[in-house]
Amino acid sequence: MVVNKVTGHYQIIDAHNHVWSKDGKLNIEDMENLLEAAERVGINRLCVSTPLNTPCPKPDEFRKCNDIVFEAMKKTDKFIGFCFVNPGYVRETLDEIQRCVVDGGMAGVKLYHHYFICDPALTPLLEKAAELKIPVLMHAGKVMDTATRLAQPRLSNAEHFIKAAKMFPETIFIQGHIGGGGDWEWNLRMLEDSPANIYLDTSGSVIDGGIVRKTVAALGEDRVLFATDMAFEEGVGKILDAGLSETQMRKIFHDNISGILNRRKVK
Amino acid sequence: MKIFDINTAIGHWPFRKLEFESVSELRNVLESHGISRAAAVNTNGIFYKNCHDANLELHSWLQGHEDFFTGIATVNPLYAKWDKDLRESVECLGFKGVRIVPQYHDYELNSVPAAEIADLAAALAIPVFIPQRLVDIRQRHWLDTEKVNDFESVYNFCIRHPDTRIIYTEAVVSAESFNGKEKCPNLFIETSRMRSAYGQQISKLAAVIGAGQLVFGSGAPFKEISPALLKLRNTNLPEAAQKQLAGENALRILNKYHW
Repeated sequence: MVVNKVTGHYQIIDAHNHVWSKDGKLNIEDMENLLEAAERVGINRLCVSTPLNTPCPKPDEFRKCNDIVFEAMKKTDKFIGFCFVNPGYVRETLDEIQRCVVDGGMAGVKLYHHYFICDPALTPLLEKAAELKIPVLMHAGKVMDTATRLAQPRLSNAEHFIKAAKMFPETIFIQGHIGGGGDWEWNLRMLEDSPANIYLDTSGSVIDGGIVRKTVAALGEDRVLFATDMAFEEGVGKILDAGLSETQMRKIFHDNISGILNRRKVK
Repeated sequence: MKIFDINTAIGHWPFRKLEFESVSELRNVLESHGISRAAAVNTNGIFYKNCHDANLELHSWLQGHEDFFTGIATVNPLYAKWDKDLRESVECLGFKGVRIVPQYHDYELNSVPAAEIADLAAALAIPVFIPQRLVDIRQRHWLDTEKVNDFESVYNFCIRHPDTRIIYTEAVVSAESFNGKEKCPNLFIETSRMRSAYGQQISKLAAVIGAGQLVFGSGAPFKEISPALLKLRNTNLPEAAQKQLAGENALRILNKYHW
């Protein structure tokens, strides 16, 4: 089998993954499965968060999610924590970023589809992220099916990211999972010539032929981040099949996300 | 380990430009990934009103590639003379299976036309291929369908037709899906969309229904090939069971007795 091409002498960092809770605590069994899967496909470190899919998570709920991430970070330094918030709670969101990032050592912010990324409600959060030089990773997609459209009416797509990136040029945006199930070609066309502070992660279960090659063609190899979002073989396999050079693979597997994480002001 | 890819396609997909559409390109890519043999359908069979034109087209494309590809017919049971076409596909064109797409040809698996296909397939001793979907419906083209063939409908179809072998491609089926259900030895599940390393979905399913009922497929050229290969490698199955999944089961189901 020609699947053993991940041989570079660098750490492979998964820029978008998750740990989950069970009965209010870190789900240890799932975390162990996650780490085993990561090891099997050659991933060394994982950026993890615990988002909620409920319509409007309250501050005490997103704090509990971040406590789960802290619990995971204590288990192993393979986890790089991302702080999940509901930005509609402005003051509590900024307090939580202080607790998780400044005081707790998390590396970025994770947002779900509670608001569009360009919604004015996000202004304080995006300014704070720029100040701290931390990335904002958001669940994203251009979905075309009725069920997902109804379930995620404020799901951001590339157009929303471009608008936000122009308003906040000092903020690093990571548009989540180009393989997350929506019309990835539409997103890539929109991102041609887009602001340089938008990055795209490759995660998601969609492994359409050419998806990574076209992603690199649209954004350039410096703005594409390897990720799986729990789709481990899909995540690694579609990079291997993209016909990339060793240099491109190194950037996507490691250098690009490493460069983003190293910008962080508080260590 | 020799690998038989049960899930490949040749032909044109109108909603997104595929990386390649021809038989020689597909063969080259599969072989470069270490795949020894493959079953192929003609994607045009979904869209031609008269599906049999796609079967004849596929047969002509596969000339010179019979050592690698096994042709799989496509039929629409609502169209004239579909049964004659299926017999000709098997008896004259040498095809070893039939693919049905109720979500595109506008009928239900729980229907008389679907039952008639199952019966004729059993009589011809060929398996029926049923794709859960062709592409992720969340990215669907506005002219494409939102319908999928879910596990329950396929399982019930298998139970109603115990003498017909069913290959469920592009499937996502957990071991728990079989809780409380009677065994279904005529159902074969293609694994390209199932989780492997993370949670061992493939291995757990094998523990419930047996590794003899799992088959390897890639979904090329719609999908990249390496993910399916990585999933095969990352199962916790013993080597003998991995070999079954990789190709031995496919050979048996398609009535091919050697590589």
